[in-house]
Amino acid sequence: MASAAAPQGALTKKRKGRLFYFALGFDMPFFILLMLVLAVGLVSLFSASFAYAYYWNDGDSYYYIKRQLIFAAIGIVAMLLISTVDYNFLRKLKIPYIVMGISIALLILVLFLPPIKEVHRWIKIGSLRIQPSEIAKFAVVLLFSYWIAEFGNDMKTMKKGFFPFMAALGVVCLLVFREPHLSGTMLILMIGMVMMFIGGTKWYYLLGTLGLGGAAAAALIFIGGYERDRIDVWLDPFAVYTSGGAGRDSAWQTVQSLYAIGSGGLMGEGLGNSRQKHLFLPEPQNDFIFAVVCEEMGFIGAVLIIILFALLVWRGFVIGMKAPDRFGSMLAIGLTAQIGIQVLFNLAVVTNTIPNTGISLPFFSYGGSSLVMLLAQMGVVLAISRRMKDKNDS
Amino acid sequence: MKAPSRHMWRRSLGVLVVVALCYGAVGGKLAQLQLLEHEVWQARAEEQQLSDSVISDKRGQIVDRNGVVLAQSVEVATVIMEPDEIPDDATRARISDELSVLLGVNRETLYKKACKTGSRYEVVKAKINDALCSQFVDWVKERGYTGIFRIIQDYKREYPLGNTLSCVLGFTGTDNTGLEGLEAKYNSLLAGKAGRVITTKNGWGDALPNDIQYETTVEAGEGNTLTLTVDVNIQRITEKYLDIAVAETAAANRACAIVMDVKTGGVLAMATKGDYDLNNPRVLTDPDDEAIIAQLSGEDRSSALLTALQKQWKNKAVSEFYEPGSVFKIFTASMALQEGLISERSHFFCNGTFTMAGVRTMKCHVYPRSHGDQSLAEAISHSCNPAFMKIGSLVGTTLFPRYHEKFGFTALTGIDMLGEARVTPTLYHAAGNITAVDVATSSIGQTFKVTPIQMITGACAVAGGGTLMQPYTVSRVTAPDGTVIQEMSPTAKRRVISADVSTRMCAMLEGVVDGGGAKNAYVAGYRVAGKTGTSEKTDQKTASANGRKGVVASFCGFAPADDPAVAVIVMIDEPQTAIRYGGTLAAPVAQQILSDVLPYLDIQPIYTEQELKDLQRQVPDVAGKTTSAAQAALKSSGLSCRIVGDGTQVTAQSPAAGEAISAGGTVVLYTDGSAAEHTIVPELTGKTLTEANRLLTDAGLNVMLTGWIDRDPDSIAVQQAVIGGQSHAAGTKIPHGTVVELTIRYQDSIE
Repeated sequence: MASAAAPQGALTKKRKGRLFYFALGFDMPFFILLMLVLAVGLVSLFSASFAYAYYWNDGDSYYYIKRQLIFAAIGIVAMLLISTVDYNFLRKLKIPYIVMGISIALLILVLFLPPIKEVHRWIKIGSLRIQPSEIAKFAVVLLFSYWIAEFGNDMKTMKKGFFPFMAALGVVCLLVFREPHLSGTMLILMIGMVMMFIGGTKWYYLLGTLGLGGAAAAALIFIGGYERDRIDVWLDPFAVYTSGGAGRDSAWQTVQSLYAIGSGGLMGEGLGNSRQKHLFLPEPQNDFIFAVVCEEMGFIGAVLIIILFALLVWRGFVIGMKAPDRFGSMLAIGLTAQIGIQVLFNLAVVTNTIPNTGISLPFFSYGGSSLVMLLAQMGVVLAISRRMKDKNDS
Repeated sequence: MKAPSRHMWRRSLGVLVVVALCYGAVGGKLAQLQLLEHEVWQARAEEQQLSDSVISDKRGQIVDRNGVVLAQSVEVATVIMEPDEIPDDATRARISDELSVLLGVNRETLYKKACKTGSRYEVVKAKINDALCSQFVDWVKERGYTGIFRIIQDYKREYPLGNTLSCVLGFTGTDNTGLEGLEAKYNSLLAGKAGRVITTKNGWGDALPNDIQYETTVEAGEGNTLTLTVDVNIQRITEKYLDIAVAETAAANRACAIVMDVKTGGVLAMATKGDYDLNNPRVLTDPDDEAIIAQLSGEDRSSALLTALQKQWKNKAVSEFYEPGSVFKIFTASMALQEGLISERSHFFCNGTFTMAGVRTMKCHVYPRSHGDQSLAEAISHSCNPAFMKIGSLVGTTLFPRYHEKFGFTALTGIDMLGEARVTPTLYHAAGNITAVDVATSSIGQTFKVTPIQMITGACAVAGGGTLMQPYTVSRVTAPDGTVIQEMSPTAKRRVISADVSTRMCAMLEGVVDGGGAKNAYVAGYRVAGKTGTSEKTDQKTASANGRKGVVASFCGFAPADDPAVAVIVMIDEPQTAIRYGGTLAAPVAQQILSDVLPYLDIQPIYTEQELKDLQRQVPDVAGKTTSAAQAALKSSGLSCRIVGDGTQVTAQSPAAGEAISAGGTVVLYTDGSAAEHTIVPELTGKTLTEANRLLTDAGLNVMLTGWIDRDPDSIAVQQAVIGGQSHAAGTKIPHGTVVELTIRYQDSIE
């Protein structure tokens, strides 16, 4: 791929050794890793949704993959376009505040719209479903990058480096939590705190916040009985499923996920050969897609995919660290961390390492608007990578 | 614009490390699930993913020793309905209407099943045959109900001979597992190995789409074939005569008979009547039982029905006890001879009673008459009780129980059949416990019990040279591919008496049939030996309606006496006739069985001089002769004649030339070409010999007797004898002079 692209690049003697990087002008390792992840994700979605679509969409096994492919194409085009734009545009005209304002407005709006699947997570425009929390995630990353770049060394103070951030996080998270969308809340919280940590907020402020938050959550769960069902399912999904308690559906999903993963073994059943996707594992094309991947591709396939994601995150961080300025740096790190953390959450849920919260796997799970949004954000990372300095260091 | 600081670098690296560790943890969790616990998860997943259906196995055949099929499995189909697939109520109604007629099932029951939406397995009708199945398939196709019905291949057990050998063969349940008889006893050898079809299914329990369907079939294995020692022809003969006897005697507690190969202990026939139809084992065959049960209801009814069914399924020949009575005298005599306590030269005096061990007095069966002085052979022939109690007292309390055990009366014979009854020590007098009185009563076959199979097995030991054999029914087990898996050979258990004693006993027992108490078992041309027995059920608490306690009338014997080949036991339990002796009821059945079975077994008759004389008295050919010449010719043959017409020449004769006729018979000679005159056969059965003779003579017919023939026409035996059967049925029209064969049934000196 690299060599095929090579003749198109501007060849000068001085940059002969770095031709690879300048062929398309952005960071090729990141781009290749991203395309690999996307390709594997689309293949996985095709396989995972195949049976589900067969049973539920009048035998049209291609129902989901057709749509996802269209959105992937749109997303890639959007990504490439965005990657040509100077990212510094995003810090002008108070755009970070505007985006944050819009996203908070949407988060409030969604609470007053009729619920879909009993929750207020989506705003439906025609056949498109937009998740305000997805926009909020980007808004948080954008605003925090802006603030960290603006505040500079003042990040060490509580007045600048802690309070504004916590206030923004508090408002957004409270609204997302009200949807209710626990995993989205936690994801935004984690992204925000990781950015604060790298941006220079004193580590003990963060640790203190985490400690207080954790204690409050523990108190809510163990004394208040809040989210008790979810915890029961997590501790023993089989017991909940057999006893037919409140979390029965969620327990069923977890049990079937474990069956799928466990069945896969070292080598897996082979691509397309999952049995669990045949109406055992509910909605295998959504949050639990990775269970089908594990069943079909085995431990080896699953680990390779995890490594692929880890490499993508690493490369995103490298882009961030080599950005010419702090705004670009934090923007790249924040957008990459978002993927890294979401992947981690998803895998932990699918393997029942943490309670089932309902979180999708980036580039794998079905969802058009979400995929376009993800790829657009990756476009921003690629745009930043065009300004990378000292590329031979990597 | 500030570049990222060193501080940010470090913190970024820290975050990366933490993320990497977390990814590693997830990888670890995956390793646990996919590598360490893989098999556990896979097994649990397959439990829900795979559907496992059983392919029925074909059970092996049971054939007789000539290969005639007695039991076989035929392919049938079971129709399954999936009510979940029925689209609407109109279809439900239509299915119920049409299918109830087609398959002969209750419409309401079917409709209820069709209404079970959500169910995917409702049996409409089990085990329908090929023809009906194809009719059903046509109907399904015509109506387009292919999604609603399924057919499961299965087998059904068939018994081509119906009742024949039923209590021995037994039957299977709907799951093709043997429930009774040999079917149960040899179930593991007869049963094949069930096969399996493993298919994948989806979360709704349906098969996966064809292109991704996974299916594994484990073929079912066929069962082995059992070859019996039983010969269907002998079985049929035995059952035929036993059936008649049960009908005639109205045996209240059924009857049984066994025919056994003396040398091997192999069962040639084993019959119980009333038995049942193997193809409908749950249909009661006893009309009395049926009538009683029809009046009951609820639990009483079901328990009474079960009891009645279990009774008709029971193989009486091996499962029920009885007091052997005088038949046991065979063994009393054998043990005394073996020990040298008595010999053919011993004499016994009977004055009508015997005082046992000086304490209890018992009457002889002829009391107030007595047998007087008798040799051993005569004592056996008379079945004299005082003589045998005397012999018993000679054997004594030490030796008697020892022989009782050696003859096999205290243990299972070990016959390969289900439900052989075990004789417990409460049923006989065991060593150490036995008193002199017990020995005396036991010597004449009373105060203890045995099973018919024990009795005939013991008799075979006496007849067959003194060695007790283990009786058996299955001679060979053959695998479906024809290889013999098991070949059963005769098993000798132990020597009980010497060959010499055996030979001497045979000779004396022949005397019992040849003019003695068992003369009704006599078969001309064959040397039959045996002993009869009649035992009152002294332990029966309530006497039957006519105020008598029940009796068991039995006969046990063998033939030919000089080289015994087959043994027969006939036991009639609680006959309701006026005369209930073994000699009157059981011996004739044995005679009928033997007279058919011996020729069938290719045992050639050897007639005595006297028998030959009877047989060779043939009607000479006198047609064409002058009347006087004819008269002279007949006279020289010891026959007389009756001349019809005025002619001088004989134009026809009856009986025809060459036919057998008794001495003193009358041949009708026609002299003027007139047609034969006919007469009607009178009813003779049950009449005395004198009456029968007079009736036949009056009718212008000739008499010929079969069975043992007493040469002394004035003997008590002849005076008391009656006609047991006639060759021409009463009421039929036959020509004058025709020889009517009469079977004699002696009633005298038979206990």
